[in-house]
Amino acid sequence: MAKLVLMFNKQVLKEYPFDKESITIGRKQDNDICIDNLAVSGYHARIDKTGYQYILTDLQSTNGTFVNDKKISSHRLRHGDNIIIGKHVLLFVASEKERQEAEKEKEPEFNKTMMLDTEKQRELLAKQEAPVPTPKKPNKIGVLSFIDGSKLGEVELTKKLTRIGKSDNVEIKLKGLFMGSTAATISRRPSGYTITFTGGLSKLKVNGEVVKGSVPLKDFDTIELGSYKFQFYQKDSNR
Amino acid sequence: MLIKASGITDVGLKRETNEDAFSIDDELHLYVVADGMGGHQAGEVASRIAVDLINSAFKKWLTTSAPEEELFGLPDESLSPEGNYLASSIRLANRVIHELATMGDKRQGMGTTVAALLIMPSKVIAANVGDSRIYLIREGTIERLSRDHTIVAEQIEMGIMTVEEANASSLKHILTRNLGSAEDVLPEVFELEPANRDRFVLCTDGLTDLVTDEEILDLTLKADEPESLCRNFVDLALERGAHDNTTVVSVFVTKENKKDGSLRRSAMALADIWNGVQRVFKKLKP
Repeated sequence: MAKLVLMFNKQVLKEYPFDKESITIGRKQDNDICIDNLAVSGYHARIDKTGYQYILTDLQSTNGTFVNDKKISSHRLRHGDNIIIGKHVLLFVASEKERQEAEKEKEPEFNKTMMLDTEKQRELLAKQEAPVPTPKKPNKIGVLSFIDGSKLGEVELTKKLTRIGKSDNVEIKLKGLFMGSTAATISRRPSGYTITFTGGLSKLKVNGEVVKGSVPLKDFDTIELGSYKFQFYQKDSNR
Repeated sequence: MLIKASGITDVGLKRETNEDAFSIDDELHLYVVADGMGGHQAGEVASRIAVDLINSAFKKWLTTSAPEEELFGLPDESLSPEGNYLASSIRLANRVIHELATMGDKRQGMGTTVAALLIMPSKVIAANVGDSRIYLIREGTIERLSRDHTIVAEQIEMGIMTVEEANASSLKHILTRNLGSAEDVLPEVFELEPANRDRFVLCTDGLTDLVTDEEILDLTLKADEPESLCRNFVDLALERGAHDNTTVVSVFVTKENKKDGSLRRSAMALADIWNGVQRVFKKLKP
C-alpha cells in the first residue's frame, strides 16, 4: 500500500496510509489529511487511485498545489514526489508492487482510457463548487424578459428546448395573426443558448437583424417576434 | 423528412480486440455508439450491453408512451418525455453493467462510454456519458452536442486548464463518468430542433484522438452520403496510426426539398392565419 508522509520544516508530522480509492487534503476537518494552516484551502487537493496509479488534482486552491516545485493542476504521482501545499510537504511513497507496475505501465498506456471511481469525486466537486465562485460554470439559467408591455414579464428557460408560438403545446404562448404555431425555439446546448426560427409569417429578429436559421444568444440580446419584444439574459440558477 | 445513416467500427492497428459497439435503428432513428473498457473481453461485453439495452428499453417506453413513474430513476423536468426515455434507458444500462461489474468474476471493473442520438420530426435529442462524442454540422459550422466527462474537459470548463494543455496532458483519457463504475449515473442530455441538411457524427475517442473538430467539419461538408463519410473518417484514423478502436456513425437529414419546402411553409402559415381568423370570428359572434 502506498503512503503519504506529512512534513513541516523537514520534520515528519504524521504518516497516512493510502487505504481508500480517493483521499482529500485540506484545512477543513472532514478531509482525509487535514492541515490546519491558513495557507491551505478548505478542500485543497485530491488524490485518486486508478489501478496502480495515483492522480493528484488541485481543487482550485487559492495558493496552488506544487509537485517538486512545479505548479500543477493535475499530476500522475511517482514514487518520491514531493507534494507542496502551503508550507507543508507531503512525500508520496509507493509500495514495491506499485513501483514495478508503474514501470510497466509507461507511456503507451497513456492512450488507454481509464475510469475513475466517480462517486467520491462527484461529492468533492459538489462541495467545491459551492464556496468557490467558479468562472464559466454552466450553473446559469437563461431568462426572457418581455419589454413590450405584455403581461408575460420574465420567463425562465428551464427546459432544454423551449418552443415559442401560438399553438397549445408550446412552452411560451404568444398571440398574433401572423405568429407561427411554433414560431421559434430556444435550445440549451453545450455551447450555450441558441435561438432558431421555425416558421410563420411573423419575422424573428435578434438585435434588429432578421434571423432565418439559428443564432447563439448572448446576454442582453434583444429579440423581436411579431409585435413581441423581449430581452435575453442569464442569471445564477438557485437550484 | 428523409434520414440516411451509416456506421463503421474498426479494431485499429494496435489493439487485438474491438471493444467498441454501435447500433443504427432506421425506424426509430435512434443511433448509439459505445466504447467499452476492462480486460478479458469485458469491455466488449459492457459496450454491447449498453447498446442493446438502450435500444430495447427506449423502444419499449417510446412505443407504449410510458408514464414517468414507469421509467428507471427520477425524471428530469428540463427534458421532454422522449428525452427522459433516453436518459432513463442509459441509467438502466448503467445499473445492469454495474451489477455485473461488481460480481467479482472476470467482468470485475468493466465499463463503457455511450453516445446516443434520436431524431424526430420535431426534435433532436443527444445524450452522452464519457468521452464518446456527438457532433452537429449545420450551416457550415460544427458544434458538439455532447460533453466530455474527463478530468481535463472538466478543468477546461472550470477555466483552470487551456485546450492546448489538455491535449498535451497524459490524463486526457481519464473518465469522470462512465456506465459501470457507480450505482447511478447522470447522462448529459441536450434537445434541439432539427433543420434541413443537418449532419450528425457520433464517434468514439479512437477518431477524436487523431482527427480534429475542424477536420470532421471539412470531411462532412465534402461528403454526399453517410457511408463514404464514415469510411473516410476511419481511413484517416488508420492513416494516422489508429492506436485505439475507432467507431463512427453519421446521419444525414433532409427535411424537404426546396420547392416543396417553401410551398409547404406558405401553406402552413396560411393555415395558421386561417385558424386565427376563425378564432377572431368566434369571439365576435355573440
